[in-house]
Amino acid sequence: MNNPIIKLSTLLMLSALLAACGDDGDTGPQGPAGPQGEAGTDGQDGTDGQDGSDGQDVINGNSAFYTVKVTNLTYSQPFAPAAVILHESGFDSFNEGEPASMGIEIMSEGGDPSMVITEAMDSTDFLDAQNSGGILGPRSMGAELTLVVPELDADDLRLTVTTMLVNTNDAFTGLNAANVSNMAVGDIKTFMTVTWDAGTEANTETAATMPGPAASAAGGGGEAAGYDVVSDDLADAVRLHQGVVTSANAEDPSREGLSTSVLTEAHRFDFPTSRVVITRTR
Amino acid sequence: MKFTKLASATLLSLAAVSVSQAVTLDIEFTNLTQAQSFTPRLVIAHDDTVDAFEVGQPASSALAWLAEAGVIDDEQNADSSGANFEALLGPVDTDNGSNTWHRFGGLLAPKATLSYPFDTMDKPYLSLLSMLIPTNDAFVGMDSIEIPTEPGTYTYYLNAYDAGTELNDELNSARKDVVEAGTGNALGGYGVPGVAGGGAPTRIVDLGTGGTGVGAQIVNGEIEDGEDGPVHIHRNALGDTDSAAGASDLDSTVHRWLNPVARVVITVPAS
Repeated sequence: MNNPIIKLSTLLMLSALLAACGDDGDTGPQGPAGPQGEAGTDGQDGTDGQDGSDGQDVINGNSAFYTVKVTNLTYSQPFAPAAVILHESGFDSFNEGEPASMGIEIMSEGGDPSMVITEAMDSTDFLDAQNSGGILGPRSMGAELTLVVPELDADDLRLTVTTMLVNTNDAFTGLNAANVSNMAVGDIKTFMTVTWDAGTEANTETAATMPGPAASAAGGGGEAAGYDVVSDDLADAVRLHQGVVTSANAEDPSREGLSTSVLTEAHRFDFPTSRVVITRTR
Repeated sequence: MKFTKLASATLLSLAAVSVSQAVTLDIEFTNLTQAQSFTPRLVIAHDDTVDAFEVGQPASSALAWLAEAGVIDDEQNADSSGANFEALLGPVDTDNGSNTWHRFGGLLAPKATLSYPFDTMDKPYLSLLSMLIPTNDAFVGMDSIEIPTEPGTYTYYLNAYDAGTELNDELNSARKDVVEAGTGNALGGYGVPGVAGGGAPTRIVDLGTGGTGVGAQIVNGEIEDGEDGPVHIHRNALGDTDSAAGASDLDSTVHRWLNPVARVVITVPAS
């Protein structure tokens, strides 16, 4: 059965021997170089890349979403950018009767709320915060801000809001750790807020000490008229604001007005000063 | 046949439920101010399509009539026809679908309390409005509270708002030495500057006459009728202590207030 294969291989061997034996002359000159070969075919596609790593767990079914909306209820007190903070019970940005923190002082005198937020972030009770970032004009509604906290913390949740009344020395309104625990999706809570005096700057109502448009119109205002390291208030303690005196009635028989004030009767405000609406959306 | 019976049975039970929810509330209303009288009270029970006022939003003409002149319906002032709350809401004491309302007449004097029965006709929200006099366009408002359903007594404190439809000139509307700029109209009432109701029988003191204007100033015997809206918390009357001069015809020692300006106690009866 193997015979045919053996015979074939023997024949091949014989022909090779014959070829070798037949060439006894000199080696001929090298032939010309052959033409360039055709381009090779394209290589195969590479293998697929590896799957990406999983996304981080930030927005998932275990988070509770809230929107917060502030309305300015005053006639002519613009609100500086607002700090809006969600946290657990146990933390307070400020306490009535106690000195204001550096963050509250800077916010209430100059309007910048960023240190109020960083102070809150240093607390273990901190959950989330937003800086509204813009001025909220008098008699107007602000944009909705969205805050996200772990669902597990929704049963012990507090809302703090601070925003300066800019035509004042150191007045601010907002909420001090208002209880917003156990809101179901779709629930809405509305708060009408008071205004505090930070207790860090005397209420002189002069152009040199207030940052807002009333002071600007009188040749002052701006950043230099904002935060001042000097604390010269009657008491270094946060308390409810008495309202602005203004220059109104400085000349009538009552002389109740403050003739050195650059504020007018239009800058007066009563409580409530703002409305804060929080809605749980998810 | 069986299906039809079931459906009609369901309808009957629904009707029974809605009848049991219609309650007559007792609404006790107290004026907490020392010298501001309240004009006739508008009480509205309504659904979420009715919003008598909203802070941060412009006032309706109906709110302007109420806040500047204390007018709610045609019967009080025919000139308000088509622009007042009656036009906005529908007939009085009727289930208008989205609402039912009533005007509780008469002036409510400072420090006084009155109680009213009010059939909510099964509407979920309650609003209450009344003008403060003497002011230009201040009103006390209850803003769409959810009507409690459990029997009991519920207390609410209400704030004074500025409708924003008239500048707070604080000028006595009885004055003849000042007219509205442009029109020459006498002061007082809807759409014309001047504090309304200065001569009301419930007044505490008479108004002055020599003021030069607070939120707007008299120029050559004329006063502008501008706007200062949208609706916001009222910054309070200013007043002054000179009835023959100064800025205001109101008295700063008499006419000022601080919020809250009214208390409402709602009693939901046991059914």
